[in-house]
Amino acid sequence: MTPSRTDADDLGRRRFLTTVALGGATIVGATSLGAVDADAAFAAPLVPLDPAVPRGAFVEGRILRTDGGVLDVAGSHGERARVRLTGATSVWKAGVATAAEIEAGDGLYARGVPMPDGTVAADAVWVNIVNLYATVRGIDKDRLHLAHGTHRIVGRLLPATTSASYPGTAPTSDLSRLRVGDAAQVLGAWRPADGAVDIVRVSVGPPPRGLR
Amino acid sequence: MACGSTPLWAGEASWFCCGNSWGPCASAGGGACGTCRSGEPQAAWPNASQACWEITRPDLCGEDIPRRGCGSVLTVRHQCSGASVCVTVTDCGPRTRSFCGEATCCDGVCRSNRVIDLTPAAFAALGSLSSGTLPVLVHE
Repeated sequence: MTPSRTDADDLGRRRFLTTVALGGATIVGATSLGAVDADAAFAAPLVPLDPAVPRGAFVEGRILRTDGGVLDVAGSHGERARVRLTGATSVWKAGVATAAEIEAGDGLYARGVPMPDGTVAADAVWVNIVNLYATVRGIDKDRLHLAHGTHRIVGRLLPATTSASYPGTAPTSDLSRLRVGDAAQVLGAWRPADGAVDIVRVSVGPPPRGLR
Repeated sequence: MACGSTPLWAGEASWFCCGNSWGPCASAGGGACGTCRSGEPQAAWPNASQACWEITRPDLCGEDIPRRGCGSVLTVRHQCSGASVCVTVTDCGPRTRSFCGEATCCDGVCRSNRVIDLTPAAFAALGSLSSGTLPVLVHE
């Protein structure tokens, strides 16, 4: 007969897991599994190995403040959440970034595991990331003018960062094939200060009627 | 409705934002079904209605995707990692016709054409938002 676990056992176990998740053990786990590459770390959702740990949580909203590695987040539908950054948390902000680059006012998506203390221990956070379907309305040397629905957005081109993806080719830094009128998918980072978007990648499809 | 395992389609998954949100997504609204939220495991399907089909036109890319309306439940699985997420159709999309022939690959196998748009919550369950697209298998 299998001994039953008491509530006290469960509580102690969860406290232990919390300590592990919020301390250094998660780092050991990530590296021992090979997730030392930044992209690989983002790509692999954190799956708890212990059934006592709830499966994934997701947080969306604006960051109200940062406090000792905990992000206080106001969800877009009125909910509140606290996202805890650990040594193993992957941070994206227009590229691989550090926790120090996260600021109050930023928008956030976070993936992680709910902890008994009410926080979400994040394995990945994406700060200000947007992925917009837009139409190219204008092209300047350092920016694209985009129409997203009924809104106009300035897309800033970042030297050494912005790439373009054309049909059938690998991403390239050559933006010369972009055309006014192109339908484009723009992946980038929203800038809360001015509402513009720093473009990381702009993807366009084949031209209508074979014009390109 | 349960999350099924019967193969339905395969292709690229992209992601989008909807509902009340921040930044350029603030004006996204609740989508074609009125219930779309970025923080929930939901999806946009290119044939959520006839009006939707007229916008997305996956047939122009050779994808004769069947109708699955608001509230349909789909299981989306990453082609290589095996990670999966159960989603509810709450919007119309992606605009498949604008990206005909686009392909996303993993382990040497590629999937062409955008066949489903996932909310950030759903997409993040399969991979990184910064990748933009993922090769997926869709079941119901």
